[in-house]
Amino acid sequence: MMLALTFRAGDTPLAIDTRFVVEVLPRLSLQRAALAPEAVVGLLPFRQTLTPVVDLCWLVAGRSARNRLGTRIIVTRVEIGRRFVGLLAEDVSELVDSRETIMGLTNPEHPWLGEHLADQTEMPMMVHPSELLPDALRQLFEASPA
Amino acid sequence: MNMSRGESQLASRLSVFVLVFLALYAVFAFVAWRTLEAVRVKGPYYNEIMLGNELIADVLPPPQYIIESYLIALQLMDEKSSAEASRLIETGNQLRVTYEARQEYWKRVLDDSPMKDLMTATAARAALEFYRIRDDIYVPAIRTDDRSAARAALDQMRQRYDAHRYAIDDVVKMAQARNADYEKRANELINEQIRTLVLLAFGVVLVVVVMAWFARRAAQSLSARVHLVSDVAGRVAQGDLTTVIPPSDANDEAGRLLGAIGGMTQSLRGLVTRVKQASVELMSTATEFAATSRQQEATVQGFGASTNEIAAAVKQIAATSQELMATMEGLNAVSGQTADLAEAGQSGLSNLDSTMDRLAQAANAMSARLAAIREEAAEITGVVTTISKVADQTNLLSINAAIEAEKAGEQGLGFLVLAREIRRLADQTAVATLDIEQMVKQMQTAVSAGVMEIDRFAEEVRSGVGTVDRVGGQFGQIISQVKTLSERFDSVNHGMRSQSQGARQIGEAMGQLLDGARQTSVSLREFNSATEGLREAVTVLKTEIAKFKLGNE
Repeated sequence: MMLALTFRAGDTPLAIDTRFVVEVLPRLSLQRAALAPEAVVGLLPFRQTLTPVVDLCWLVAGRSARNRLGTRIIVTRVEIGRRFVGLLAEDVSELVDSRETIMGLTNPEHPWLGEHLADQTEMPMMVHPSELLPDALRQLFEASPA
Repeated sequence: MNMSRGESQLASRLSVFVLVFLALYAVFAFVAWRTLEAVRVKGPYYNEIMLGNELIADVLPPPQYIIESYLIALQLMDEKSSAEASRLIETGNQLRVTYEARQEYWKRVLDDSPMKDLMTATAARAALEFYRIRDDIYVPAIRTDDRSAARAALDQMRQRYDAHRYAIDDVVKMAQARNADYEKRANELINEQIRTLVLLAFGVVLVVVVMAWFARRAAQSLSARVHLVSDVAGRVAQGDLTTVIPPSDANDEAGRLLGAIGGMTQSLRGLVTRVKQASVELMSTATEFAATSRQQEATVQGFGASTNEIAAAVKQIAATSQELMATMEGLNAVSGQTADLAEAGQSGLSNLDSTMDRLAQAANAMSARLAAIREEAAEITGVVTTISKVADQTNLLSINAAIEAEKAGEQGLGFLVLAREIRRLADQTAVATLDIEQMVKQMQTAVSAGVMEIDRFAEEVRSGVGTVDRVGGQFGQIISQVKTLSERFDSVNHGMRSQSQGARQIGEAMGQLLDGARQTSVSLREFNSATEGLREAVTVLKTEIAKFKLGNE
């Protein structure tokens, strides 16, 4: 049994394999990180660490995620410098079967976009969280002392 | 004049009168003669009466002649039936009673004469004796059927009957002689009367003829003098006053008439002379009158014309002021109606005012209700929010549970299903709450809109009330102004009326003046015509007087 968690970034329907998901949290009030890029929403205290939270809407659609109940923080098991990464996404509400996938386009500029889920109506694209963050953000998280 | 004609008139009338009288008298005499002729003895009527008497005497059995009694007595002698005998006896009794009654009559009627003695003494004695024997002897004998006694009595009765019959025959002879004597005397009397009548008639005719002759002579004398008088009067009538009446020696009515005519002619002569002088003076006076009256008439006509103009002008003024007055009255009525309308409008507005107040109150109440609804909607929203939060939490929990279950591998499969069901329930709850939220939001929007509408409505009502109050005040002003206007109208009207009345009075006065002028003019014209008539009359008088011939001119 393979499950995927569906969500939206802007208008784009996306999904993430649940094996990468540590926990889904509601949109809590975050500590705004000083001098951080706009895509970084803040730092989330999670299991004795400060998990950086990235706004996927900002990354994909160039705008902040709307303040809704469906807008939630997906804590992913990316392990950059032994830390988790939180993704702020909209409509985080559904788990779907992810065994059937179809190949879509391969975009070299956005390698984190993978194949489409076949049996879903919107056919969301699977997200590879390890390749999700741009290098600038990655460096930012790695450089920080644990 | 025609003398013979006058004479013949009078004479012929007289002769006609005499002739008529004579004719009537002749008729009278003829009728009297005819009457006497008709009723004389041996005349037609006398003969008729006598014929009737003779007829009666021939038919009836004479009561004074006892032949019937005798005959009955004879019949009784031979009668066998006792009933018939009784009837015959009774008839005999009746005849005796009748005889005695007639005897009494004749005793009363007849004059004492030998005939009366013969009838009432000689004949009556024999008859009474006859009846006595019949009653005393004959009838009892018949009753006892004693024939011999009856026959003896009958003999005695025949002797009495014969004596009676002789006496009666003598009476009849004497009566006939007496009648002849009377007839002779009556005829002599009538002949004598007729002679007297003829003599009288001749006398009357003679007297009438003599009277007619005398009357004719008197009429001739009278008519001669009357002709003289009428001749003189005719000449006077023609204007000849120079005639001198010859003095008359006759002292009768005609003579006095002639004298009076002469005096009259002399007086007329003097009068005509004076009238001639007076007519000349009258003529000049009439001419002066005519001139003066014509001048006056011209003056009055001028006056009448100017009066007419003034009267026309005054009438126009009066008419104009009356029209103006009518207009003012119409205006007054209109302003009164306006005031009424304004008052009605004011009262309507006050009603509207109270209605608006009620409307405002109702709007406020509705607004309050809507506010309450909004609060309740807000509460519902709070509850829905809570529910959706719970649903969200549940969803989150189920996701996390599913993730954990997957990690658990085969052992977590059942839990995974459970988590999915929970998530579905949470989703449905979320959807439901979403619907509720939508509905509540719509409700809230509607309520808000309603509140806004009601607020605006209330505001409008409030401003409407203000407007109504203002309009009511304006109406009040209008009413008061119209009322003062009406009073002013009244005063103007009053003035107009008095002016109109004055104009009418002036007009009437002018009319009267005009009438006076017209009457004066008419009188002047009449006077003028009268003067003209006077002049004409004087002219006629002059010409007429000129016809009179006066001896001394």
